[in-house]
Amino acid sequence: MAAHTEPEDFLDSKDRQSRRPKTLNPIIPPTSKSSRSSSYSKGSKYGIMAVGTASFLHLGRPLAPAVIGVQPTTTPLNVIIQPQAVFSILDHAIRRDIRDTQSTRVIGALLGIRSEDGMEVEVRNCFAIPHTENEDQVEVDVEYQKNMLALQLKANPREILLGWYTTSLDLNSFSALIQNFFASPETGTFPHPAVHLTVSTEAGKEIDAKAYISAPVGVNAERAAESCLFIPVPYEIRYGESEKSGLELISGAKDSENRAAPVVSDIEGLERSVDQTVDLLERVADYVSNVLDEEREPSNALGQFLMNALSLAPKVEPQDIERDFNNHIQDVLVVSYLANTIRTQIDLSQRLATSTLTMGGSDALAVAGGEGGEKGEQRGGQRGGKRGGRGGGRGGGQQREPREPNE
Amino acid sequence: MADATVKEVPLNSVQVEALVVMKIVKACASTFPTTATGSIVGMDVNGTLQITNSFPFPAPDIAASDSHPNDHMAASNIAAAAPRSKANATYQNEMIKYLREVNVDANNVGWYTSANMGNFINTSLIENQYYYQKEINERTVALVHDVSRSSQGALSLRAFRLSPTFMAAYKESKFTTENMQKTKLTYKDILVELPIIVHNSHLLTSFLHQLPTPPAKTELDFPASLADLNKEAPQIPLYPNLDSLDLSIDPYLEKTADMLLDSIETHYTELNNFQYFQRQLAREQTKVTAWKTKRVAENAQRATQKQAPLPEDEWERLFKLPTEPSRLESMLNAKQVDQYSRQVDGFTASITGKMFAVKSNLLPDSQ
Repeated sequence: MAAHTEPEDFLDSKDRQSRRPKTLNPIIPPTSKSSRSSSYSKGSKYGIMAVGTASFLHLGRPLAPAVIGVQPTTTPLNVIIQPQAVFSILDHAIRRDIRDTQSTRVIGALLGIRSEDGMEVEVRNCFAIPHTENEDQVEVDVEYQKNMLALQLKANPREILLGWYTTSLDLNSFSALIQNFFASPETGTFPHPAVHLTVSTEAGKEIDAKAYISAPVGVNAERAAESCLFIPVPYEIRYGESEKSGLELISGAKDSENRAAPVVSDIEGLERSVDQTVDLLERVADYVSNVLDEEREPSNALGQFLMNALSLAPKVEPQDIERDFNNHIQDVLVVSYLANTIRTQIDLSQRLATSTLTMGGSDALAVAGGEGGEKGEQRGGQRGGKRGGRGGGRGGGQQREPREPNE
Repeated sequence: MADATVKEVPLNSVQVEALVVMKIVKACASTFPTTATGSIVGMDVNGTLQITNSFPFPAPDIAASDSHPNDHMAASNIAAAAPRSKANATYQNEMIKYLREVNVDANNVGWYTSANMGNFINTSLIENQYYYQKEINERTVALVHDVSRSSQGALSLRAFRLSPTFMAAYKESKFTTENMQKTKLTYKDILVELPIIVHNSHLLTSFLHQLPTPPAKTELDFPASLADLNKEAPQIPLYPNLDSLDLSIDPYLEKTADMLLDSIETHYTELNNFQYFQRQLAREQTKVTAWKTKRVAENAQRATQKQAPLPEDEWERLFKLPTEPSRLESMLNAKQVDQYSRQVDGFTASITGKMFAVKSNLLPDSQ
């Protein structure tokens, strides 16, 4: 994560700092003004794109003395969220139970892995926790959380509890209470900070998310349990190479009326990709010809970029291309032909092996002229076996051939 | 009563929530090349099986098994057998019990497994699905996610069920030639594939429109320099996936051809077994016939001597006809070969397309 330090953000953080002692619990830091700015970063570990968030300046600083014992670390933390965790949160938001709670949000636990130095956490999984919220009290099913956590960890032994999520952007005193529960030494992530992820799930609005860690605030002992300082931390939604095809399929449905898309075959996918590429190329060609006609403003950088791209085309003799192309295409077609021959042979063998009754019967009639039924059947059986054997033998004979074109 | 009417409609399609797709993809990719298995929950609405959530089965304890070089094979085997093991049935019930509390469909509708280049048709798949269709719920499916194929093109996720004829045959484990002639069961009838539709919730649709951040609506400023352009490269949309234009398809073709050859070898072994059985049967039958003629002659002799004839069906006790080997293995193998060659067809189709594209790109005037 490349953290650009913008003066605005810096001011923001300072502002936040200076405000801290005055504010009562819970302390909700002012949200950054540039929260929807678009700064992207390349995920170094995956070599893939990531959905970036606003620039962050995070200051590790001494805090007010904690109430008891060692205070949890509040060092900067980078949160990476995998798409399936977000999907799961959204799913949970839809399935919320509004019968016996006044809140419109739901909560759940975040699971995932933490890097060795504790500087980076990756949210991979999450599960829902039932809770009820009223004006003056909040109830979280602790027993459920414990059991579910045990079950989840059984299936994914490498994952650990990282924190919790909720489906509204608000932070209130209940949030602080739950946060303290998740950060506590007995039931939570202590000595590492618990991550709190808020995802807005209001219908018809953009889905926004924010990640926080917490620090204790200096209040008297009675109120310590329900107060904490939420510190925003940067987060990214990152997806790996393997998830790409899945996400492609899912996003394919995003513009359709019924929000559904069928699973397509490779060739259809290829067709779409080619169409898309042709489209993009046309746009570029359009732009270039417009520039040539002096209808649009030229750009040196774009020109350079296009030049670089064009120079990637290899310089090969046409005859060489022709030759290699023909060789390769023949190889591929031979493999395909052989594979289909094998399929036919196997099909034939299976058919002959099991259709002996009719075949055997008619054969026995024709050849032996009414021999015993049992014998006829046996003969047919043998014939089938033999034919099948030959089919297999021929298939086996082709064994070495498909290898060659590949290598 | 309502139940009964619902049962009338056969399952005709599977609708998978995006969440399930992502969970399965993640679970399968994280254990690759070891097989991953898990359970899926959902419900069945008018013949469409809606799969709304999933969870993986506990990972096999690799430390417990021997840690020899190819221990991922051993782990794979344990994982492949996981859906029908007792411990996991308990786990599954426990999990579903908890999921019910948070309003997830608490109804097991099958299981999922990962595959590698289409090698999923084996006894393990059959046994698992048989277990599910028989013991738990008739209306269950097996989802197969092919990790290797998905990595080079479109997502490969397929839903299978065992056909009723196959279920009946498997129940009695009758895979003899005679029985198969009677039921007309062929390798093509083992599995029924159901079409899969991926479905998104409203919230998710709105989230997907932000992922990756949509391109700016207004005209952008021109980049100041090449470095600027490279630094702030625009994000490529998820759909359509331009990765499928990748040209290195040969390794996949090679791997499939290799596996096809393995299948042929299996086919050969099965054939040899069957031929051995047939020779054995023929030999025994000659002996029986010899014995019968002898007995008939003996009886004729005894009849002339006014003695009681000896029983003629004693041969059943004296000779033991060999039992016919099960046809199941060879049927599965045939199905597997079928699957591989279709896969090769698919590869060929896309690679020829790509190759012609490359050629016309490099030699524009040769057309």
